[in-house]
Amino acid sequence: MTEMWLLATLWLGLALIATLLSIWFGIATALSEIVVGTVAQLVIGALVGAAVLGANDPWIKFLSGTGAIILTFLAGAELDPVVFREKWKEAVGIGLASFFAPFLGCAAVAYYFLDWSPQASWLAGVALSTTSVAVVYAVMLEFGLNTSVYGKTVLAACFITDLGTVLALGLIFAPFTMRTVIFAGVSVVVFALLPYLTPRFFKRYGGRPSELEAKYLLLCLFGMGFLAAWADSEAVLPAYLIGMVLAGTVGKDHMLIRRLRTLTFGLLTPFYFIRAGAFVSVPALIAAPGIFLILLAAKIATKLAAVYPVTRFFKSHKTEAMYTTLLMSTGLTFGSISALFGLSQGIIDTSQYSYLVATVVASAVIPTLIANAFYLPRHLLGRAPEVEIKTADVTKADGPLLSAKESLPESTTSPNRQ
Amino acid sequence: MISKLIVAYDGSKQSEKAYKLALDMASKYSAPMIVLSVARPPEPPVAVELTAVLDRATEYFEGHFKCLKEQAQAMGIDANFLVRVGHPAEQIVLLANKEKADAIVMGHRGESLMERWLLGSVAKRVLSYAHCTVIVAR
Repeated sequence: MTEMWLLATLWLGLALIATLLSIWFGIATALSEIVVGTVAQLVIGALVGAAVLGANDPWIKFLSGTGAIILTFLAGAELDPVVFREKWKEAVGIGLASFFAPFLGCAAVAYYFLDWSPQASWLAGVALSTTSVAVVYAVMLEFGLNTSVYGKTVLAACFITDLGTVLALGLIFAPFTMRTVIFAGVSVVVFALLPYLTPRFFKRYGGRPSELEAKYLLLCLFGMGFLAAWADSEAVLPAYLIGMVLAGTVGKDHMLIRRLRTLTFGLLTPFYFIRAGAFVSVPALIAAPGIFLILLAAKIATKLAAVYPVTRFFKSHKTEAMYTTLLMSTGLTFGSISALFGLSQGIIDTSQYSYLVATVVASAVIPTLIANAFYLPRHLLGRAPEVEIKTADVTKADGPLLSAKESLPESTTSPNRQ
Repeated sequence: MISKLIVAYDGSKQSEKAYKLALDMASKYSAPMIVLSVARPPEPPVAVELTAVLDRATEYFEGHFKCLKEQAQAMGIDANFLVRVGHPAEQIVLLANKEKADAIVMGHRGESLMERWLLGSVAKRVLSYAHCTVIVAR
């Protein structure tokens, strides 16, 4: 037990460092946790030994797997059923194009250019097919497009794309046996019953300090996760679908979602993302950076080819269309889940896993940097014809006259930083 | 003559000063004002975390707005309060353009070199793109 507590201390220490880095740099916690995991494995591996981090210890695998399942469930529960019902027909076209273009394109590149096995190539396609709903949602909010037809359609399409990714991950690599049929049959029944049973059950017994809701949801997620794993599929597949079918009921219970987030961010996802980072082999990346660059180029090019025409079709401004398209090229959560699934199932080796995770991380970061540097919606703002700086002739509450002009070069306000 | 003011507010002491300055100006010119707070998503925004950040920011700002609203009401100033999402500078300028504001009042807040490199100076961006007077309170 002593060793376990020591290891838990080490992992939570790394999680804390990652969180501080994410606060200081204003980056996503998941991103900093992956990077911290990679660096920690590199440094600790070099100084003490690769096994010290214990990334394959059963209890760490359990916490990590639970983190992936609940995170995926919460991602599915963010679906807006009203928007989805309203725009699903239009969204299916965009969502499928956004899924199939990178899925097939990246799989083809991995197979023909990188000489990966067919299974590994398919996995590369799955891992690089994702689109981050969060990124697109943030862009839509920035543009104020989240309530427009265009915004709603693209957002609904992102869910279709991610659904394509989890379905591909859950079904392509599973041998089609009687277990698959049982898993599919039980899933249909459970997904049909849950939206009916859950709100009634919560209404009857919920709202108590014993946290019945959390236990009920974990029971559903673990149960369906077991069934998926038993059928050689992936546990995140039912988790995402349970999230989607409960989005209109459980997804609207903000207090419950918050409590689940606390559990997820406070304990579980650090184990998941740090573990995902710990398996990245930096020497493999340094030895053949070309592979990573080819995969990244394939991911961005195929996403561009599929999404840019769609955004233009919706008569989006060119710059805005490019901005949206670039940001639709990212997908950190499902990308890393797919890659880790491939590694744990022996579909890909450590080097291939490293290239995929590096590509997923880069495809989350680089398009965002490019988009922010070159494609911010400045056309919406328009450059001021002449910068007018008035020296305000007013007295500060606690001091002398305020000279705006004098203070401008280094002056700034950041209304979001808390 | 100032007929409408935008105040950028982030809950910091500097933005409190900017708010007091804006109240004073709004009172002198009998101008309505809009208090804007911007929630910036992490880079890149990631599923679930984004919603958590936005929920937290909205709750944080709305908590502060109650107190600010009382101050404005006590002075008889017409003040509206908004929370937007995105890059602070762009959201400030967008709102100023949309509302045809005559002045933007914002607080000075020293950012680290890293923050400036990653996010860019908010004031510089506001100055570059704003079509109206920009006042930075120190």
